[in-house]
Amino acid sequence: MNPIEVSHIVKSFGATQAVADVSFAVQRGEIFGLLGPNGAGKTTTIRLILDIFKPERGTVSILGGSMTEAKKDRIGYMPEDRGLYQDIALERCLMYLATLKGLSKVEAHKRLEDYLERFDLSAHRKKKVKELSKGMQQKAQIINTVLHHPELIIIDEPFTALDPINTQLVKDLMQELRNQGTTIIMSTHQMHQVEELCDRIVLIDEGRDVLYGNLEEIRRQYSGNAVLVRVVGTLPSLAGVETISYHNGTTKLMLMKDTSPQDVLNTLVAENVILEKFEIAIPSVSEIFIRVVEEGDR
Amino acid sequence: MSKTLHVLRYELITTLSRRSFLLVSFGIPLLIILIFFVISIMKSDTSSTIDVSSNTTQTIELEIEGYVDQAGLIRVIPEQIPSDHLLPYLDEEHAYRALETGEIAAFYIIPENYVETGEFIYVHPTLTPSSSDGQDWVMRRTLLVNLLDGDAMLADKLWNPMDLKVTNLAPMPQYDRYAEEDCSTPGPACESNALVQYIPFIMAVLFYMFITMGSSLLIRNVSSEKENMVMEILMLSVHPRQMLTGKLVGLGIASLLPTIAYLGAGYIVLRLGGGVLNLPSELTIPPSLLVWGIVFFVLGYAVYASLMAGAGALLPNMKEITQATWVVMIPLFVGYMVALMASGEAPHGALPTALSLFPLTAPIVMIMRLTIGGVPLWQILLAVGLMMLTAVFVVRAVARMFRAQVLLSGQPFSARRYTRALLFGRM
Repeated sequence: MNPIEVSHIVKSFGATQAVADVSFAVQRGEIFGLLGPNGAGKTTTIRLILDIFKPERGTVSILGGSMTEAKKDRIGYMPEDRGLYQDIALERCLMYLATLKGLSKVEAHKRLEDYLERFDLSAHRKKKVKELSKGMQQKAQIINTVLHHPELIIIDEPFTALDPINTQLVKDLMQELRNQGTTIIMSTHQMHQVEELCDRIVLIDEGRDVLYGNLEEIRRQYSGNAVLVRVVGTLPSLAGVETISYHNGTTKLMLMKDTSPQDVLNTLVAENVILEKFEIAIPSVSEIFIRVVEEGDR
Repeated sequence: MSKTLHVLRYELITTLSRRSFLLVSFGIPLLIILIFFVISIMKSDTSSTIDVSSNTTQTIELEIEGYVDQAGLIRVIPEQIPSDHLLPYLDEEHAYRALETGEIAAFYIIPENYVETGEFIYVHPTLTPSSSDGQDWVMRRTLLVNLLDGDAMLADKLWNPMDLKVTNLAPMPQYDRYAEEDCSTPGPACESNALVQYIPFIMAVLFYMFITMGSSLLIRNVSSEKENMVMEILMLSVHPRQMLTGKLVGLGIASLLPTIAYLGAGYIVLRLGGGVLNLPSELTIPPSLLVWGIVFFVLGYAVYASLMAGAGALLPNMKEITQATWVVMIPLFVGYMVALMASGEAPHGALPTALSLFPLTAPIVMIMRLTIGGVPLWQILLAVGLMMLTAVFVVRAVARMFRAQVLLSGQPFSARRYTRALLFGRM
């Protein structure tokens, strides 16, 4: 049984249909990317999964069935913005929210010590949350999400306001949790992070899932028949090439249908061309995102 | 259960650790006590506590005063008044000098023609509405005894010519019970009994203040949690009913503490008041009134604080808090106004009776009627029953409103939307 199974969910607010038809499943121990442009319905989908909203149609199964009070303690959720008491000390805020998740005070304190140290927030524990920088608040929210060691984490824009060092810190934490068997749903606009972290994705546009599956398979599916080449000297003219484009010293060759990358490689070797780079051109997630959302290439 | 306790504890400690809350709740009562304490110390220089009654049941503070007897009437000082507390002076000039040096607190001038006119002059330096209005009964008593050639027993009879025992077949108002205090002997207590007739008004004000304080804390709490999105986290951690119960009890206790502080300050001021404000120092509240008061306070708080929490759940932002507070508090305010108007004239008329049974106005109007007295037990029990039912309904309805559908809607607050959400559980 998958930790999350979403089947044809629909949700409207007045005349606005926020989620029109979304289905996907999240497997245990994976990092799953929930992608989509602004206003696509990602946050509503998350709230439907968490039983904050009820779907008008369709079903959601979370941790093996409907949401219950007991299951809430097994879930960690980080909303995109805020979600912490602003007027109280960081340590007190995190301790309170951890005890509401069922942790004993002693256990919560012990775990909090470790996380504050790890995220370099120990010196700021007595400060009010509103006195912390945005990056620090973001890290505090992440600590709040994982402190009770949930088996399912839903995290909305985890890298907002983080510098490269802290971004790496969060990425390391997410990978560590995945390796321990935690299931993570990550909603983000940072496509390079998706490429680095996610095993599978669903792309939502206008309230519908338009792309869903294993990330590598999707990228291969959208790769087309092209190669990236960088050579010493000049690239000779090649048969079977439809178009040539240049990107940062690399040449992208779009091949004709009956020409394979192997044919091109053989020709280059036969011509004694010294190769610095030769790879099959696989589109980035960002490129796929634009193609799917803007150009309707589904 | 443990989550409810966590919420309760957190809300209580957070509220009690706010500087502004501490200042308003405990700083002001302490300041009032301090002011009265300083005044009473300043006044104690010219006063002492003595027993003036013949039956030794009453102890009051008596200031040292003087007199200038131009009529030559005073030959004896009544035995209830120590002679060193009423000092004779040859003339006004000497008396004034003694007043200026603080030797005496006031003095009397008995003019030569006193027997014809019955008038004497009382010179008191601090005669203001907020301070002691003197103890002129001392001179009245002294003159009475002397006019009767020192016959103290006859003076007692004239002072209190009949020992009236009244059997009232109608239910007795509470302040009439206070009036049963023994007034057969001279002293300020009987005069100060007039204050107890204001008890219904004072109780109405206190209840209004306590309920609004607690429920205002709740509406601010909920709407701020909603605004900073903590509510979304809380909903995934604790059941709405646990959250609401924890908040209700936690903030209820938090608002009860300043209530106790103000009542304590009032009690201390009353104790000090014997010498400063001439207030009744032995004022007591009947136990039955106290018990019913607590019952109506708890139920009134539960209903109104829950309603406030519901309004907080509907508020899209803190800016609309005043409007929402006003909408919720209208019934209580109506009850308060009726209590004020009816307390003196027709406390058991049709309107006050109906409003004392109606759950939203009962906490104020019933308490007003109870302090006056004469409320049939069935009416009290009916009001309590209706309030209990209302409290249960409102707590459940508001807990239902603590769903994201409502919390995250972002629509503007309106009384219509609120009523619909409360009664039917939908927006």
